[in-house]
Amino acid sequence: MIGVLAVPQQESAAVAEDRERFTALITEHLDGLFRTALRLTRNRANAEDLLQETFLRAWRSFHTFKPGTNARAWLYRILMNAHIDAYRRTTREPDIVDQDDVDEFYLYSKVQESDEFRRAGNPEEALLSQLMEADVVGALEDLPESFRAVVVLADIEGFSYKEIAEVLDIPIGTVMSRLHRGRRQLQVKLWDFARRAHYVRADGNAPSTPGGAGR
Amino acid sequence: MRHLDCEDVLREVWSYLDGEVEETRFLEIQAHVEECAGCGPRYEFQRRLIMIIQTRARQGYPIPETLRQRLFRLLE
Repeated sequence: MIGVLAVPQQESAAVAEDRERFTALITEHLDGLFRTALRLTRNRANAEDLLQETFLRAWRSFHTFKPGTNARAWLYRILMNAHIDAYRRTTREPDIVDQDDVDEFYLYSKVQESDEFRRAGNPEEALLSQLMEADVVGALEDLPESFRAVVVLADIEGFSYKEIAEVLDIPIGTVMSRLHRGRRQLQVKLWDFARRAHYVRADGNAPSTPGGAGR
Repeated sequence: MRHLDCEDVLREVWSYLDGEVEETRFLEIQAHVEECAGCGPRYEFQRRLIMIIQTRARQGYPIPETLRQRLFRLLE
């Protein structure tokens, strides 16, 4: 009987050790993973489900993780795959329309052309300081899914092109083209928000003067 | 090597700001941007834009404590 009991005790010690290592590894990434889940699913309840599924998959395949390799990329890859399995099958991606008249500097050009913003003295800063959390999140969530994933990984989570290629299992060239197109569309959306906010303020309350925030 | 013109420099804005150009190219672009009244403000605007997007999108979304606890209970 003693021998029979000894085996599970040894196992549970190993499991406890694994659990400790896993906890140490995943803890610092949970905020980022949750934030990314929110942006991907655009919905709090689904984001929680996605994070839970990611957590479980990571735990189950923890034995395949090689210590010393990129833990963050490994976790985000699991998140992306879980997201694809759960949601992408059920939601059809709208057709992606590229606007030919939009270039990398769309927002900058719009601000320069705008009399309203030019009157602010520092039009660029006037626009940038006006962009609020809701505008940025709204613009991100309006992006087509494939662009959104790349933009979120690059601009919010700060991954390199190579890491994003690994996380999404796509070539680096595809990462770059989706990122650039995504950022272009993001600027179009942000301009809509900024202009709307500006006109509202111009009609009613005086716009707040940012007074050279930034560097 | 052919000297960089504004068109070359503007085309590489994202790769440059993302730290994805090799060092020689990076220094060439940096030198151009510092001198050029056309490219300088454009680069600065894009840099600030990405920074603001990151700051705003990271605001106020820490993982809720109840969810965090629920996740770690899955390991027990």
